[in-house]
Amino acid sequence: MSKPASDPGTGGVDRELTMSRAMVDAIASEMRADDEVFYMGEDVQDYGGIFDSTEGLLEEFDRDRVMDVPISETAYVGAAVGAAQAGMRPIAEIMFADFVGVCLDQVYNQMAKNTYMSGSAVNVPMVLTTAVGGEYNDAAQHSQTLYGLFSHLPGMQVVVPSTAYDAKGLMHAAVRSDDPVVYMFHKRLMGIGWMPAPEGPKTPVPEDDYTVPIGEADVKREGGDVTVATLGLHVHRALDAADQLADDGVDVEVIDLRSLVPFDTETVLDSVEKTGRLVVVDEDYQSFGVTGEVVARVAERSPDALEAVERVAIPDVPIPYSRPLETEVNPQVEDIVAAVESVE
Amino acid sequence: MVGVNTLREMYEQMVTARRYEQRLQEEYLEGKQPAFDISAGPIPGELHLAAGHEAAAVGVCAHLDDEDTVTAPHRPHHVAIAKGVDLDRMTAEIFGRETGLCKGKGGHMHLFDPDVNFACSGIIAQGCPPAVGAAMAADKRNEDSVAVAYLGEGAVDQGAFLESLNLAAVRELPVVFVVEDNDWAISMPQDRITDVDTIAERADGFDMPGVRVDHDDAIAVYEAARDAVGRARNGNGPTLLDVQVHRRMGHFMGDAEGYRPDEDSERAQRLDAIERLADDLRDRGVDDAELQELRELAEDRVEDAIEWAKAQPEPDPADAHEDVFVDDPAAASGGDD
Amino acid sequence: MSTDVDSESVWPADADDVDEAVVANWFVREGGAVDAGDTLCEIQIEKVSVDVPAPESGTLAERTVPENGEFRRGDVLGRIETG
Ligand SMILES: Cc1ncc(C[n+]2csc(CCOP(=O)(O)OP(=O)(O)O)c2C)c(N)n1
Repeated sequence: MSKPASDPGTGGVDRELTMSRAMVDAIASEMRADDEVFYMGEDVQDYGGIFDSTEGLLEEFDRDRVMDVPISETAYVGAAVGAAQAGMRPIAEIMFADFVGVCLDQVYNQMAKNTYMSGSAVNVPMVLTTAVGGEYNDAAQHSQTLYGLFSHLPGMQVVVPSTAYDAKGLMHAAVRSDDPVVYMFHKRLMGIGWMPAPEGPKTPVPEDDYTVPIGEADVKREGGDVTVATLGLHVHRALDAADQLADDGVDVEVIDLRSLVPFDTETVLDSVEKTGRLVVVDEDYQSFGVTGEVVARVAERSPDALEAVERVAIPDVPIPYSRPLETEVNPQVEDIVAAVESVE
Repeated sequence: MVGVNTLREMYEQMVTARRYEQRLQEEYLEGKQPAFDISAGPIPGELHLAAGHEAAAVGVCAHLDDEDTVTAPHRPHHVAIAKGVDLDRMTAEIFGRETGLCKGKGGHMHLFDPDVNFACSGIIAQGCPPAVGAAMAADKRNEDSVAVAYLGEGAVDQGAFLESLNLAAVRELPVVFVVEDNDWAISMPQDRITDVDTIAERADGFDMPGVRVDHDDAIAVYEAARDAVGRARNGNGPTLLDVQVHRRMGHFMGDAEGYRPDEDSERAQRLDAIERLADDLRDRGVDDAELQELRELAEDRVEDAIEWAKAQPEPDPADAHEDVFVDDPAAASGGDD
Repeated sequence: MSTDVDSESVWPADADDVDEAVVANWFVREGGAVDAGDTLCEIQIEKVSVDVPAPESGTLAERTVPENGEFRRGDVLGRIETG
């Protein structure tokens, strides 16, 4: 069953879930359905994942299927590649996306390339989950999103949910995909007690399985004046900005990119052809990344539609620790408002 | 035999470090109650405190000079204090202030004090290779300084550590790897992730001595480190020093420790290396009044540092764009739009 | 008929020394249907988070403590309209 995310439909159930609970819901359901699915990472057993990504799984599944592993990312991410090539459906977690550096080879030279290098003789049906994002002052080595890095390197699908509904549907799609999927969840959206989420990521979530197709963006708010394309935490900031701008008579359309690879160019193009104005907002570094890619795709396909464009992203600096410094570099609601006004 | 003055100094540093963590805990929880919001209060973000690890810091650093290099992991304060890092500026850094060691850019896991050759990293085991590099520099320049890399027992399964052991061994570099074994890597007990009896055994395959100090005792650490540091300084290559310590607090502030048996937490409280060293000092004729005086000195020092730090200005947001490179700051602004 | 959602019965033993907490998340809106045992909300006591199950089936008539709202141990968190 597949439903469009803009029409969650509660299936007669009145429950709402946080993003973490929706993600776990999908993982548990996939593990129930298929013995070949298992989860491994650091602190995923008794702790339930530092960001609640496996909370409660140990109540239903044993320690061979919810596996704590040594702090050896190269070994266990690479082991997931091998197990996937052997036909299993492993989910491996890198606790923070920032830590990918210690196992990058297994990610970009093995997981991402084996399918192509083998001429599809092998495939790698695994999911790499990882926590991303800042805005709680965890500084340069624990706050990055690295959306652009993962998306730049060919061979992995990359998804970034921003709501509980999408988190569940994208996880189902990711586990079922016959290709490697990097599933990047934003810490601030998970709904963890000690890291309060903004309004918005908690949504109604049907009990039944459904997929959100990988490669489809979602219009989270319709509007005719300016297109704001973004992802992750900044979907909610863009929606806040749109509410503020609506008071001034500016009608903003907010596109949640949701998948970076494959990328849904059509949804962005359709919107820009309507509005003529594009603002791309990203919590990753500005240069050589998501913002440039989105603008380039629109410029290539529909140069005449593009009347004005603006990028809002982390200037090309590592994420600083101190609160006023991090606030300066991470796009805030006011920054989005200002960017929209500048193209208006 | 360790001289009584050395012991007195070690005691003073240990109580300073313990007091420091207690006071940071209080400051950290400010604004985080009753709701624990990690981004609230005067110290936001993760905070990893080292109460119960002090013996490993002072017992080793007692043999080091400013010229010797130390790299610490995500739990660095006790080692920084033992290495002589400027306490005021370190505290200002933790409070995110402009006059902090790193102008508020680094935070508690990324403290750099080149005056005493101290640095740390929040990525597991990634302080090991730079420590090997500091030793390599000393070796090439025929200087007699050494490098010490601190890491937790959970970090010994990381490639960067194992590769560093090998590089240091094969080049006979003056490095001491100090493992602070507190039995836990966040929620993972050692036997779940590392299949050796003691971490010291890891040294066997690298042709270097592996020395285990199996109780949390500052004097025993001091003696083991004297040999290890001496070996390095004399050009005889690296040593792996594995020290039993105890985690008296959660992995980070905010860790409810639901995974940890109560007896284990209680044991960590009971086995206190500071009390043990106090007993040793009493045996060596230092009376309670003097110990009390040392504790008060430590408390004052910590209080002064916190007070100073909190009075410092916050950084100017515009400074966020500087320091990407030491040359040509304009190049760091991400283009000119 | 209505039943109170009470905070005393879910208070964990290891938080005995604390008497303030926060409702971190509500999972049901006012007016929403619930089955007995469904997780209604999540409370955060210092660093410990605890799920609060619905004591009865029915409709969540009222969230007495709002999301992110603070309460004291023993306070009623919400009210379920039964039957
Ligand atoms: C490469 C990498 N993987 C995972 C982490 C997350 N992490 C931070 S501390 C820690 C546990 C470290 O345990 P140990 O080395 O024993 O030190 P301790 O915290 O007990 O002092 C983990 C897994 C990290 N920082 N870097």
